[in-house]
Amino acid sequence: MSLRWRRWLVELRASRNGSLSLRLRLMLGATCLAILFMLALLPVLQAAFSLAFERVIEERLAADANTLITASRIEEGQLVMPDRLPDEEFDLPDAKLLGYIYDPQGNRLWQSRSAEDESIDYRPRLHGDVTEFQRVRDIEGVEYFVYDVELRLTNDDQRQAFSFVTMQPTSEYRSLFEEFRQQLYLWLGGGLLVLLTLLWLGLTWGFRSLKRLSHELDQVENGRLDRLSDQHPMELLRLTRSLNRLLDGERRQREQYRNSLGDLAHSLKTPLTVLQSVGEVISAQPDNREQARVMRAQIERMSQQIGYQLQRASLGQSGLVRHRVALQPLLVRLCSTLDKVYQDKHVRVDLDIPPNATLPLEQGALMELLGNLLENAYRLCLHQVRISLQEDAEYLLLSIEDDGPGVPVDQRARILRRGERLDAQHPGQGIGLAVVKDILDSYGGELRLDDSSLGGAAFRLRLPLE
Amino acid sequence: MKVLVVEDEALLRHHLLTRLSESGHVVDAVANAEEALYQTREFNHDLAVVDLGLPGISGLDLIRQLRSNGERFPILILTARGNWQDKVEGLAAGADDYVVKPFQFEELEARLNALLRRSSGFTQASIEAGPLKLDLNRKQALVNDEPLALTAFEYRILEYLMRHQQQVVAKERLMEQLYPDDNERDANVIEVLVGRLRRKLEAQGGLKPIDTVRGLGYLFTERCR
Repeated sequence: MSLRWRRWLVELRASRNGSLSLRLRLMLGATCLAILFMLALLPVLQAAFSLAFERVIEERLAADANTLITASRIEEGQLVMPDRLPDEEFDLPDAKLLGYIYDPQGNRLWQSRSAEDESIDYRPRLHGDVTEFQRVRDIEGVEYFVYDVELRLTNDDQRQAFSFVTMQPTSEYRSLFEEFRQQLYLWLGGGLLVLLTLLWLGLTWGFRSLKRLSHELDQVENGRLDRLSDQHPMELLRLTRSLNRLLDGERRQREQYRNSLGDLAHSLKTPLTVLQSVGEVISAQPDNREQARVMRAQIERMSQQIGYQLQRASLGQSGLVRHRVALQPLLVRLCSTLDKVYQDKHVRVDLDIPPNATLPLEQGALMELLGNLLENAYRLCLHQVRISLQEDAEYLLLSIEDDGPGVPVDQRARILRRGERLDAQHPGQGIGLAVVKDILDSYGGELRLDDSSLGGAAFRLRLPLE
Repeated sequence: MKVLVVEDEALLRHHLLTRLSESGHVVDAVANAEEALYQTREFNHDLAVVDLGLPGISGLDLIRQLRSNGERFPILILTARGNWQDKVEGLAAGADDYVVKPFQFEELEARLNALLRRSSGFTQASIEAGPLKLDLNRKQALVNDEPLALTAFEYRILEYLMRHQQQVVAKERLMEQLYPDDNERDANVIEVLVGRLRRKLEAQGGLKPIDTVRGLGYLFTERCR
């Protein structure tokens, strides 16, 4: 759950940078649309309902007016109403249905028992054979629906048109309408929720293929997969195939690059070795000693430059793949190599490394880095080399220490500078530290040199975790 | 010592052949892995120098092949790339040390000597047997710290016998140490050289460390350290 929240926070923070996730965008868009649609739907539904409801009330009042009409008789020119009406609603004093009968002059001739306690000031308009449906208010402001039908009860007298009026308070209608509106809101709101949930599920389903792709990309970056699979939706296949071509191309190019760099090294350095040997032969004659010395120095310089530049060229960061190389097996391999070379020294190596620690470097680069530093340590130590790894939140700190003579403080800066070397006894050592520094630079790391508790030098590498 | 050099670049091969011969080794210099395999089948070498960048069968595969054929002599690799991948693979395949091209001959020689010392079990730069002492770097024999006047051939025989102390060494092995080619070899020469060596050792310190094992060869009887 906390993970989900964190992801939401990330998305929210991303949204401020203008890089909202696709799913969130689609969700927001769909939600806005749905809400707008419902806002438009609401008044239409309400109007339609109220129209239909008023029609029902009108018909009911009309039916009630008919009841009045059929109950009334004209006896000797006078309107006579029975004591009890067929519709009991009219007879109950506190019923809601009110009935009135007006004569053509607008005088109230009769009112139902239910209307006795009401005081509604209503005057029929009396303009012929008309039925009217309207609303009126009584003195207290209570609103009524009024149905008014004018009818001549006898055929002969034009003036004998009576007005039959039935009334019903609108409060019932209002409370019904209110109830309807509540139901409407409830259903629409519920519908909206269900819709959005379905939408979210649909989007999740749809985006699962994108997630799978991103998972595969993670694996490619970690080096667990060589290329992306072909099990993606059609729309993505175009993209994944392009990516695969790119990956294959990069890999081929790297290999080619490495091979041709190797060939180049071989084809340049072997002639240099020959020249070196010629220089040695020349220097055997006393007259040529000075020239031979110059020649050897120049050859040495050339070979260092070639070695350095070639190593550098082959050890940059690669494009897509994010490397994680297990440290321990690599160190074991390097140490067994160096143990063999420095067999006579019986160097004791202390490894203080978590067994599955990894470093975010490419295998070849890490090998050069550690090989150069370890060879230094083996060469300069008396009997002991210590390799340790510490990790904090942001950095990895790898220390390689020896019990050798160490490096005087005033020379530290100098030997960390590119291409410098302290001992001319071991040709080729000078580029070692320069390569180490270059590799570290390209991965955003740092190299420091200080004293070791073993008594010798301590080279400390600091690498950012990401 | 008998050294096999496997290097495809003719000039460098020639240079190594000359310089190593001058240092008192018997050198077989070949240009590719096939020839190297042939040489090791036919002769007993004490050391091999193998270039990693060979045409055809690579230096790495050659080393693996040699080790799987049961060859025990130390192997030093020459690498042009000088990257750690090559070094680690080379040593894992069975090599014992590496030198990165271009190198100065002195460095190569120092490494070769260290390997030879190590392979014979002597890690010091000298071998001692009682009053007799060999300075392996200066190729000098001393009796009671007095230099013993030996020819280069005599010295080589003495060094070889002392390196293989308390083992019977066949005459053929000694001959391989002295001459690179079959046709120059003559068993009588070895007998003459060993005879002279014995006389010199006896004359200076009364030493008689070399026995003859009839029909088999010679035996250095003293314990060396």
